[in-house]
Amino acid sequence: MLGPGAEFRDGQRRAIEAVIRDGSRTLIVQRTGWGKSLVYWIATRMRRDAGHGPTIIVSPLLALMRNQIQMADRLGLRAVTLNSANRDDWPAIEAALAADRVDVLFVSAQRFANEDFTSRLLPTLQGSIGMFVVDEAHCISDWGHEFVPDYRRIGRLLPAFGPVVPVVGTTATANDRVVADVAAQLGRDVQVVRGPLARASLHLDAITLADQAERLAWLAEHIPGMPGSGIVYCLTVADTERVTTWLRANGMNAAAYNADVDSVVREGLEQDLLANRLKVLVATIALGMGFDKPDLGFVVHFQRPGSPIGYYQQVGRAGRGVADAYGVLLTGREDDEIAEYFITTAFPPTERLREILGVLEDVETATVRDILAHVNLPRGQVEKALKLLEVDGAVGHERGRYFRTPMAWAPDEERISGVLAVRRRELASMRAYVDTAECRMAYLGRLLDDPAAHECGHCANDGGRVWPRDVDHDLVLAAIRLLRGDIRVITSRKQHANGARLSFVNEEGRALCVYGDAGWGRRIHHGKYGTGRFDDEVVAAAVAVISIGWRPSPSPTWVTAIPSTAHRTLVGDAAQRIAAQLGLPYVECLTAAFDRAPQKDMENSEHQEANARRKLGIQGELVQPGPVLLVDDVVDSKWTLTVAGELLRSHGSGPVHPFAFAVASQRGA
Amino acid sequence: MMGAMSDDARAILLLCSSVAAGRGDDARPLGPAGWAKVAEQLDRAAMAPGSLLRMGEADLARVLGDAVASSEVVARQLARTGQLAIELDRLAMRGISAVTLADDAYPWRLRDRLGPKAPPVLFTAGDRSLLDAGGVAIVGSRDIDAAGESFAADLAASAARAGRAVVSGGARGVDQTAMRAALHAGGTVLGLLPEGIERRIREPDTRQALADGLVVLASPYHPGAGFTAGAAMGRNKLVYALADVAVVVASAARTGGTWAGAEEALKAAWVPVFVRTAGDVPDGNRLLLRMGAQPLDAPEVPDPTIAMSSDRVAEPIAPYEQTTLGLGDGS
Repeated sequence: MLGPGAEFRDGQRRAIEAVIRDGSRTLIVQRTGWGKSLVYWIATRMRRDAGHGPTIIVSPLLALMRNQIQMADRLGLRAVTLNSANRDDWPAIEAALAADRVDVLFVSAQRFANEDFTSRLLPTLQGSIGMFVVDEAHCISDWGHEFVPDYRRIGRLLPAFGPVVPVVGTTATANDRVVADVAAQLGRDVQVVRGPLARASLHLDAITLADQAERLAWLAEHIPGMPGSGIVYCLTVADTERVTTWLRANGMNAAAYNADVDSVVREGLEQDLLANRLKVLVATIALGMGFDKPDLGFVVHFQRPGSPIGYYQQVGRAGRGVADAYGVLLTGREDDEIAEYFITTAFPPTERLREILGVLEDVETATVRDILAHVNLPRGQVEKALKLLEVDGAVGHERGRYFRTPMAWAPDEERISGVLAVRRRELASMRAYVDTAECRMAYLGRLLDDPAAHECGHCANDGGRVWPRDVDHDLVLAAIRLLRGDIRVITSRKQHANGARLSFVNEEGRALCVYGDAGWGRRIHHGKYGTGRFDDEVVAAAVAVISIGWRPSPSPTWVTAIPSTAHRTLVGDAAQRIAAQLGLPYVECLTAAFDRAPQKDMENSEHQEANARRKLGIQGELVQPGPVLLVDDVVDSKWTLTVAGELLRSHGSGPVHPFAFAVASQRGA
Repeated sequence: MMGAMSDDARAILLLCSSVAAGRGDDARPLGPAGWAKVAEQLDRAAMAPGSLLRMGEADLARVLGDAVASSEVVARQLARTGQLAIELDRLAMRGISAVTLADDAYPWRLRDRLGPKAPPVLFTAGDRSLLDAGGVAIVGSRDIDAAGESFAADLAASAARAGRAVVSGGARGVDQTAMRAALHAGGTVLGLLPEGIERRIREPDTRQALADGLVVLASPYHPGAGFTAGAAMGRNKLVYALADVAVVVASAARTGGTWAGAEEALKAAWVPVFVRTAGDVPDGNRLLLRMGAQPLDAPEVPDPTIAMSSDRVAEPIAPYEQTTLGLGDGS
C-alpha cells in the first residue's frame, strides 16, 4: 500500500479533502475494501503534521483493530488499541498518551461507558483530540440492522465536538434511511461520499432445504468444490460447533469461530483463514466487520440471516480480489423460529426494566447479583437491560456496582416498536430474497438503496452457476447419525446462585441430544408434547449412551427420576424402562410440590435455585445407599438436577449421575 | 441536550471549568473576575466567546492581551473540545448538566444581581427552571441549637405552604434542616452546594426529590470537587442572589461563613435580609440588625415589600470587634 506511484481510488481524494477541514462532518458510504481506512490514515497524518492531537477511532471489533494497526505501522503512524483484553497495557498506553506519542487511538464504543477510560485514561491525552472517526457508523442509527446500545452514546457525542474537530463516519452498508439518519446525527453540512456496493465477481444463489440434516449433507457435498477458502455463517454458537464437527468428519479442514472462543484463539483462526490453512471457518457474526481477505472464495450461510444489510455485509466478504467467488444462502425449517427469537429478545420487556429500576431506587448501589435475586430475568437479559438503562441515563455504574441516577425514565415505546418493525420488515425482505426469480445482486442492491444496482449477469437467477438443489441420501443419513451421536455433557454446578459452595456436587452427566434438533431432538419433543411417552428407539438410544458411550463411574446400583408435575408419567416411565434394560432397581423417592411454578418459567439462577428448593422434596426412607442414575427429560439451568442430587446425597445415597434426554437448545452468537 | 450547546458555552466551559482538563495540566480555570476580564476584551474586539475556539495562539494573544496570564495555556485549554464533549456526556448520563453565562437558561437573578461576580459556569442537577423560581433563602450556621433548628424548619414549612421555594446552601445544620422541612411540607428547594454535586445526587432521598422535580442542585465547582471552606464562602452569594428574600436564622458575630455571607448580602442589597430575633439568639443576629437586617420574630415568610420600602439605615459599627478568627460556623 502507498508504494511509489500509488494512486487514489474514486472518491478517496475527495474524501480526504473533506475530512481534513477543521470542524468538517463527513459520512463515507463505500463497500468494504474500497479503502476507507486509507482516508483517515492520510487525514490523520496531515492533521498531526499541522499540530493537531491524535485521532480517536471508535470501532466495534478487535479483528478490525489488529488488521488496521498493521496498516498504520506501514504509514509511520503510531496506533494503539484499548480494550478490556489488554488492560495490562493500559499504563504503557497512558504514558504514551501523556507524552504525545500516540497518533491513533482505537477504542470500542463500550469504552465510553467505562469510568477507567473516561475519567482516568482520556485525561492523560495532552492537547486536543485531532479527529474523531466512527467506524460502522450505521450502528448509531436505530434504523440500522445492528442495535448496539453504546452507539447511541456515540451518536449523542457527535454534534458536541464543536467547530474544530473533524468528525467522520464510515460504513459499508447503509440504505437511504440509515444514511439520512446518520448524516442528521453528524450535524449540519455533512458531506456524504458514496459509492456503488455491488461486487462484480460474486455469484449468488439461495437454496431451500428441508432440515439441518439436508443442509449438512449439502455442505459436505459442495464445499469441497468451491474455490479457495471460505466462511460458513451460522446463527448460533451450537451450530458452528456442530457444522465444524460434521465438515471435519467429511475430511475438510474446518474450525469453529464464535464469541465463546478465546480471543487469542480467534486471532489464530483468522490468520489460518487468511493464509488458506483452513478450507472453511464456521462462524457466527462474531467474525465480523473489517475482516478482510481479498481472495475469499465463498461464503455459505447455514441459516438465513435476519436482514439484507447483514447478509450483504457477510456475503460481501467473498470475491473482493478474485475473479469468481460464490455466495450461497441455505435456508430451511428452523430459520423463522430463530429469527423470531432474536427479534423478541432484542429488548427486555418494559415491566422488567421498571422492576430493575425499582430495586435500584431502594438502595444507594447494587450488584447484578443483588438485582437477580429480585428480578426473574436471565442474567444476560438483566445485563442488557442495565446497558439500555445506562445509555438512557437512568442508571450509572462504577466498579461493578449499579446506581439509579436522578433522571426520570420512561420507556421509549415508539422507538422500540419502530426498531422491531424495521427488524420484521428486514426479515420479510430476506424471505423475499430467497424466493425471488430476479437477478439476486440487483435485488439485494435495490433492498440496500444502491443507486447503481443493476443486473449482474452471473448469479444463479441471471445466467450464472446454479448449485444443485437435491442432496445425497447417504449423506443425509450420515448427518442424522452425527446429530444423533451429538451427546452433550452436563457439567455439575458447584456453587449456590449466591456464590457459596454447595455441600453436595453431582457427577458429570450426559444428555442424549439438543432439544428439537434433527437427530433425536424432534422425537423427544414429540414424546413430551405429543404421545406423552418416549418411544422405544429413544429409550434404546439412551441406554446405549449410558452403557456404552458414557459408562458412569462408580457404576450406578439404582435408578431414580425427577418427579414431574406437568407430565406425570413421562420421565418416571422412561426411567423405569432404562432401569429395566440396565438391570437395575427403579425407586421413586423424589417428590414435587404441585402448586409451584414450572421451573422453565424461572429466568435466572437465583430464581431457579429458589424455585427448585421450594418445589422438590424426598421420601428419605426410600433412598438407596449406592451410586444412583438420576433421570430427567430436558435439562436447562441444571438447578433441578443439582437440588435433587443434594437431597439424594444428604439422605444417604452414593454419588449422583444425572442423565437427561435433551439439553434445552442454546441460542445466541 | 448536548446538541444544543453553543460554541460560546463551549469556550466558557473550557476556560472556566476543569471538566475537560488534562491530568497534570497546570492551567487554572478562570473565576468570575478572570472571565470578566476576558469578556471585556472580547467586547472590545466585538467578538463572541465561541470565536476563540477557532483562533491560533497568536490571535488569542492579540485579542486577549494581558487579560490572560498565558495565551499558550489558553490555546491548550480551548483545544480540548473533544474531551469536553465526552466528559459532558458522561455527566449528562448521571443527571448533571452545565449552564454558562452564554446560555439563556443561566439564572437571570445571578446574571443581573451579581454582574461580574456571577460564576461563569454552574453545574446543575434536577429541574433547572427552579433556579428562576426565586424564594426564601434560609441561612445559618452548621452547628445550631434546638430553638434555631425548629425556627428554620417552621420557616421552611411556612414557605412551602405559601408556595415559595426554599433557597439553601445545602450544608449540614440550618441548610439541610430547612431543605428537609420544605420537602416534607410539599415545597420545592434550590440547593447551592459548597462542593461538587456528583456525590450528593447518589443519596436515595435526594435522588428521589430530584427525579420528582422538587429539587434543583447547583454548584459552580467541578462536579467531583469536595467540600472546602473557601468554596462554601464562594457560594454564599449565590444563595442570597437566587432568592427574593433572605432570613438569617443564626450567625456568630464577625466570624464564620454565615456572618461573612450576610455582611456581603447586606452591603450588596441583592435582596432584603431578615434576621431571627425570637428567643435567645446568637450575638451575630443582634449585630446584623444594627447593620441593616430586618427583625423576624416568628417563623413566617417575611413580606419583602415592607423591607424594600424600609428606609432603615445601617448603623456604623466598629470595624474590629471580633474576638475569634477563623471559620467557626463555616456554612
